[in-house]
Amino acid sequence: MRKRWVILIMLLLFIVEGTIMPWLIPIDWIGRIVPQFTFIFVLYAALYAGRHTALLLGISFGLLQDLVFYGHLIGVHSFAMGLCGYLVGLLLAFKRIPMLTVLSIIGMACLLYDSVIYGIYRVFRITQDAYVVALMNHIMPSLFLQLAFALAFYIPVRRWFSGYSQKKQLDDAV
Amino acid sequence: MMRNKRLFILLIGLILFIAVMGFSLSDRKDLTWPEKFLNDTVGYVQQWFYKPAGYIAGLFEDIRSMRELHEENERLRMTVASYARDKIRYNALEQKNAELQEKLNFTEEQKNRNNYTYMIAQVVSVSPDAYNKTMKINLGSRHGVKENMAVVTEHGLIGLISSVSPFTSNVMPITELDGQSANAKWISATVEGNEEASFGIIESYNIENGQLLMTKIAEEDPLKEGDVVVTSGKGEVFPVGIVIGTVTSEQVGDFGLTRTAFIDPAAQFDKLSEVLVVKVPDAEGDAE
Repeated sequence: MRKRWVILIMLLLFIVEGTIMPWLIPIDWIGRIVPQFTFIFVLYAALYAGRHTALLLGISFGLLQDLVFYGHLIGVHSFAMGLCGYLVGLLLAFKRIPMLTVLSIIGMACLLYDSVIYGIYRVFRITQDAYVVALMNHIMPSLFLQLAFALAFYIPVRRWFSGYSQKKQLDDAV
Repeated sequence: MMRNKRLFILLIGLILFIAVMGFSLSDRKDLTWPEKFLNDTVGYVQQWFYKPAGYIAGLFEDIRSMRELHEENERLRMTVASYARDKIRYNALEQKNAELQEKLNFTEEQKNRNNYTYMIAQVVSVSPDAYNKTMKINLGSRHGVKENMAVVTEHGLIGLISSVSPFTSNVMPITELDGQSANAKWISATVEGNEEASFGIIESYNIENGQLLMTKIAEEDPLKEGDVVVTSGKGEVFPVGIVIGTVTSEQVGDFGLTRTAFIDPAAQFDKLSEVLVVKVPDAEGDAE
């Protein structure tokens, strides 16, 4: 039940990323601040619903983005989102961690995600920029947007996932 | 054992992903039907969001630019007057041209070569990815859009159609051009007012200074700073005479045989709401 709502919200966020955000970002920062809201939700899913849910959500929403905005490659976001979601879930799922730690984990996962994407594009020669250029150009600026989004959604997300994680914990205990 | 199984699945997944990426990188002619279906459905939903957001953003922009309105009005009035003058001249020249074509026995195809159709398309969404700024527009193969058609705004060229679904298509902005990539696209260009003497190829975009790189300019080419670069249409797919930008600097190329030039793009690539897809009459015949 809860899960269905989460998927619906993620679909909505995916739409917002591509349609409303381009109008909200100041013109000088377009291309430098890149919204990745669905990915934040994948990370929350990894923390509060387990690594397999995160893997599945990451692969499917990443694939959605790859197919809808097919430019160079299919599978980049799918791979990166799935991988990051799974790793975070593997290390930290269902642990009781305070908010600041959660935010710093999300920040690090965002860095990893952007780096993986940069790495794939670099390997396939879509970009020739050095990593430092990419870091200063868009990875760091987008990190702040992602953190702000994660902070804004921290409390509602806890509520949406809470039923799920309690049930899961009970299952684990049994 | 459990660890091994997990590692095994991870490796299989990795190989699968690399295979998919490699496949999608190749020069694909057409999308598969699930992709088309997904593109059209998502595009349909996205257009409910993009346009209203644009209206609201435009409203604030309008209030801000209210003060400059009078000035702009004055300037536009001047332009209209000069257009009216040119129009009379143009009509006479066109008539003369048609007459001469008739005398020289031009075929229908040759006569129609420059009769471009401009299709108005709404932008539906913009990709949230730093390395892939693909735009979606709400025209597709049902409306006659084909791959590699030029997409322009009133200021100049902004991109080309990269993939087509029945009701939507993806636009690759010219800021994504890259001569070094596996299936690179080039745009042949020339200088406005000097179409016969100048020629070069728009090859890539430099993200650091925000300029396009034009290469393979001959040594004796009269191209200089401040020239307006337009498409030459030598590739037959592209229309002739669409403004790309102005030359800001030029130097001798890597091997000293040809020259290269930096071009400041004329069009704005961000916050677009309407674009025009240019349909070249010839391209239709070629595609069959």
